[in-house]
Amino acid sequence: MTGPSDDKETPQAAIVVDHVSKKFRIPLEKKYTVYQHLFGIFKGGYYSYNEFLALDDISFTVNHGESFGIIGPNGSGKSTLLKLIAGILYPDKGYTRAYGRIAPFIELGVGFHPELTARENIFLYGSILGLKKNQIREKYDEILSFSELKKFENMKIKNFSSGMTARLAFATAIQTDPDILLIDEMLAVGDEEFNYKVVEKINEMKEREVTIVFVSHALRLVQQYCSRTLLLSKGKIIQIGDTSPVIEKYLQITREHQ
Amino acid sequence: MWIFEYRDLIQVLTISNLKIKYQSSVLGFAWSLINPLFMMIILYIVFSGIFKISEKQFALYILIGIVTWRFFTSATNLGMISIVSQPGLVKKIFFPREILVFSSVLSCLISSLLEFAVLFCILIILQVSISSSILLFPIIILIFFGIAYAFSLGLSSLFVYYRDLNQIWDVLLQAGFFLCPIVYPITVIPEKYLDIYMLNPLTVIMEIFRDILLNGIFPPLWDVVYVSLWGLFLLIFGHYLFSRLKIRFAEEV
Repeated sequence: MTGPSDDKETPQAAIVVDHVSKKFRIPLEKKYTVYQHLFGIFKGGYYSYNEFLALDDISFTVNHGESFGIIGPNGSGKSTLLKLIAGILYPDKGYTRAYGRIAPFIELGVGFHPELTARENIFLYGSILGLKKNQIREKYDEILSFSELKKFENMKIKNFSSGMTARLAFATAIQTDPDILLIDEMLAVGDEEFNYKVVEKINEMKEREVTIVFVSHALRLVQQYCSRTLLLSKGKIIQIGDTSPVIEKYLQITREHQ
Repeated sequence: MWIFEYRDLIQVLTISNLKIKYQSSVLGFAWSLINPLFMMIILYIVFSGIFKISEKQFALYILIGIVTWRFFTSATNLGMISIVSQPGLVKKIFFPREILVFSSVLSCLISSLLEFAVLFCILIILQVSISSSILLFPIIILIFFGIAYAFSLGLSSLFVYYRDLNQIWDVLLQAGFFLCPIVYPITVIPEKYLDIYMLNPLTVIMEIFRDILLNGIFPPLWDVVYVSLWGLFLLIFGHYLFSRLKIRFAEEV
């Protein structure tokens, strides 16, 4: 989100990731307590952690209105990259930029409180996602009818099934109406009928030229939705471009490892 | 400024905090009012014996001390865990992290204001004369809120990295309870230590509350300025610490 302005960027860019590197610290001995920390100083092992390079010099651009996939094996840095774009993590080097209103979440349903009712949770969750109270009030009925939970308005979320919770989360989240949507893993949230509504909603967003960045292991979905895809492995870009060849490359390197 | 931009979120989070706090017990909100009264009675019985004071003034003196102290402990305790207790939010959603601390402390302030309201009723029932100095109350509460919020900023960000900080803070609060004039009159402090004793901003705040609520007089202006300066200093320091440490919150929580 920070960094020098760059004139060579095209005006259609929605997301610019420029030479981003991210290291994680992995403590050798977990020093989580003040006591252990002080003890560590006396032993002389003050900064005893290994550094793990989660992302190594990543640069790419996502265009406005594009659906962009990020694939790769577990631990390749996909979610880290998404968190950097969202501003949840800070890069060690380089910068990320988003042009337009970016949805602040990368996963649905985080922020619900089990002890509160569906009604209270819509307001809580909606606010966390950046909606104003009057916006939520306006969209309240729409959220309930979309999630098909009108009957359970005053029930505590802890008594909801996971499918119901996910439906409520999705119905609330789409009201944020972002220009850029970041999705970590697909929204396989409900029964067939609801999934159909989800797909419709996402297609509708694509038509409205919402930029969607989509991290997934479900290659079929990536193939279906994303025009361009990025393949990550061990924090490095292996390939970026049209989805089909990138998926093929991914399958190829997976086979080589077996 | 995030306080203004996210005021709806702050409000919803604060109210949610209160709802969760009060509905998880049967008597709910009544407990938070009964609790300080019971404490007052116990401490009054014990300490009025020790200090051979048995006037009703001393009971009220203790009650004001307790209500004041309870805000500080509950706000810093809840504020300290406000980041760590919301790992999902910190890891998955972007918004200014200060909001979690701010709304926790704010919900404690609202609880505390209800306690002050009960205290106020007791003062009226016992016919303590209320003077115009009571008008200072909102200003003092605001300064006090700033101090508690500043402490919470520092504690919450350190707690992400040092998970036994709550134990240490517990001990410090325990010491603080006796370092502040809650259960004893200030006159028991030896003259030569009095200057050092009065450096504690919480002591000064308690004395100001007693001046405006119990004694019905205006506190010395310098006292108000003194605690304001403390508040300002602590806010700057707390904010600095928080901004430095928040960069790795999402990794460490």
